[in-house]
Amino acid sequence: MKLQPPMQAQPQPQLQPLRVTTAPERPAGLAPWPQHAVPVAGRRTEELVIQTTALTKAYGAIRAVDDLALNVRRGEVYGFLGPNGAGKTTTLRMLLGLIQPTSGEVRVLGAAPGTPHSLAQVGAMIETPAFYPFLSGEDNLRMLARYAGVPGHRIGAALEQVDLLGRAGDAFRTYSLGMKQRLGVAAALMKNPALLILDEPTNGLDPAGMAEMRTLIRDLGQGERTVLLSSHLMSEVEQISDRVGIISHGRLVAEGTVNDLRGADRLLIHADPVEAARDLLVELAGEAHLSRDGEMLAITDLDDLALNPAYVNLRLVTAGIAVHELRLERASLESVFLALTGAGHDGDQHAELEVLHG
Amino acid sequence: MADFLQDVQTELFLLRKRVSTWVVLAVWLVLAICFAYVFPYISYRSNGAEGGPAAGGGGTDLATLLPGQLVPTVIGGFAFYGGALALILGVLTFGSEFGWNTWKTLFTQRPGRMRIVFAKVAALGLGLLPFAIGVFVVGGVASLIIAGVEGASMSGPSPVSLAEAILAGWFTLAVWAAIGVMLAVITRGTSLAIGIGILYALVIEGTISVFGNSISWLKPIVEGFMRANAYSLVEPLGTSGNAENGGPGGFSGPFVDPLQAFVVLALYLVIFLGISVWLMRRRDIA
Repeated sequence: MKLQPPMQAQPQPQLQPLRVTTAPERPAGLAPWPQHAVPVAGRRTEELVIQTTALTKAYGAIRAVDDLALNVRRGEVYGFLGPNGAGKTTTLRMLLGLIQPTSGEVRVLGAAPGTPHSLAQVGAMIETPAFYPFLSGEDNLRMLARYAGVPGHRIGAALEQVDLLGRAGDAFRTYSLGMKQRLGVAAALMKNPALLILDEPTNGLDPAGMAEMRTLIRDLGQGERTVLLSSHLMSEVEQISDRVGIISHGRLVAEGTVNDLRGADRLLIHADPVEAARDLLVELAGEAHLSRDGEMLAITDLDDLALNPAYVNLRLVTAGIAVHELRLERASLESVFLALTGAGHDGDQHAELEVLHG
Repeated sequence: MADFLQDVQTELFLLRKRVSTWVVLAVWLVLAICFAYVFPYISYRSNGAEGGPAAGGGGTDLATLLPGQLVPTVIGGFAFYGGALALILGVLTFGSEFGWNTWKTLFTQRPGRMRIVFAKVAALGLGLLPFAIGVFVVGGVASLIIAGVEGASMSGPSPVSLAEAILAGWFTLAVWAAIGVMLAVITRGTSLAIGIGILYALVIEGTISVFGNSISWLKPIVEGFMRANAYSLVEPLGTSGNAENGGPGGFSGPFVDPLQAFVVLALYLVIFLGISVWLMRRRDIA
């Protein structure tokens, strides 16, 4: 399903006032709609870069990660969503070999996590970037570059990529949180990794910094590189990810594309006379795609029908039907997230997962 | 092997850039020079003013302050405050990585855990060489100055004797640094590790050692201490009058055979580093 840009009201001076809105979860400031939402042909493959099987990490009676089956394909930007304490960071640490699983299996780029073969191809930033406070940003990267076997010329390139070249000579302890985040990303990028694992990369960034980081991550996700992005920010994941996995209480409760997860968009129409409008919409969309919700008529699966809301509006108006309201209702990823991870919904999680996977 | 050497170089770069390394080195040199030369010489001169140096120098033998006695005069400090400072350096080298959370950054680079840990251990060992050499350099300079002022002989120790002393001193520092590494890894930090380490070095070993010769059942315990074995290791190199008098850096026994001392210290080194490596390999990095 392709995402569509926010609609503009069609000038119809001879008609009654028309209100065309988009769903509230997509404020104007977030436009344009993400390019990546349209999968790039040939970029993603079915090859699994990350594969976990029944991955479990228990601390005593507490299962931080519980029977997790995570599959990330080569070339995709995979959003790993979950509330605080859901097990995201624990999972990422297991993928990097920082934490040993209690049980289950992990393969990262075909190798066991934490092995030189695996680590050589992985760039990672886990939680707050950690560097030596007394070294400059550049010296920190130089040190890591030596360990990673990265040629020195990549250091400057990585710093430039995150716009930190001007402060590269300053001690890390003098950096703002945003600069530390950017240095963390630079350290991950320096290895030109096949897999980039980023844990809450926009933490501590101001809105402009967050937007820049999102753009950077989106760019990094182009081509063959795989990006695993962990976050609890819906908008961040929604705008960047090809696919999303939602984790709650250590379990994967949903996985799919953003559109799969939040469900189909609906075009809601408040028109008069409603029966005439209904007849016309049946003609346009078919009985199966039309429903009635109080005074509103609703068309689902607009993309499948190749229906443009402006065209629907035009047809209604041309037929002499007054259109009071025409609104595209986009199901919210946030509402799905809250439903899956909120209290009292645990019992429904697995049924929901089956539906989404089905 | 070339990769590992580059890792060691990287860790040496880090060690060199750390201010705390230079602070510990400076403290070590200042303490060594003060306890081995400055205070004894002041004592010698002060008492000399009352009774004259020729009258005995207040218990300080001028000969111990001259270049010829460089080795026995300086070596005593290794097992005492040198050990404590090496312990602190070991704690800082490993423990600070927990405090800065940098283990996770290092362990997600290509070499993997063990190579990085071994590189850090190797760098720490190499980093102790300037400690062992430096103290003989400044001690030598101090003794030459004293000899010049007093018009005494300026002939120094033989190169072989000096090399033996440097190696023995380095080995002593390495063992103490290793216990610092182990404490840092166990406690995952610096503060508690330094606290426990200093408590053990100065209070437990230091205090109990005092009674090692007078309480028979304590003797075998004291003979197992790092302190007793470190002093025993360098005992053939001679002990200064200051040490024999129980001054700072002094140790009056019990002594063990030097070879036994070497073996015991080597065992300590292996055990401390073995525990550290084992923990670093197995533990989760949170």
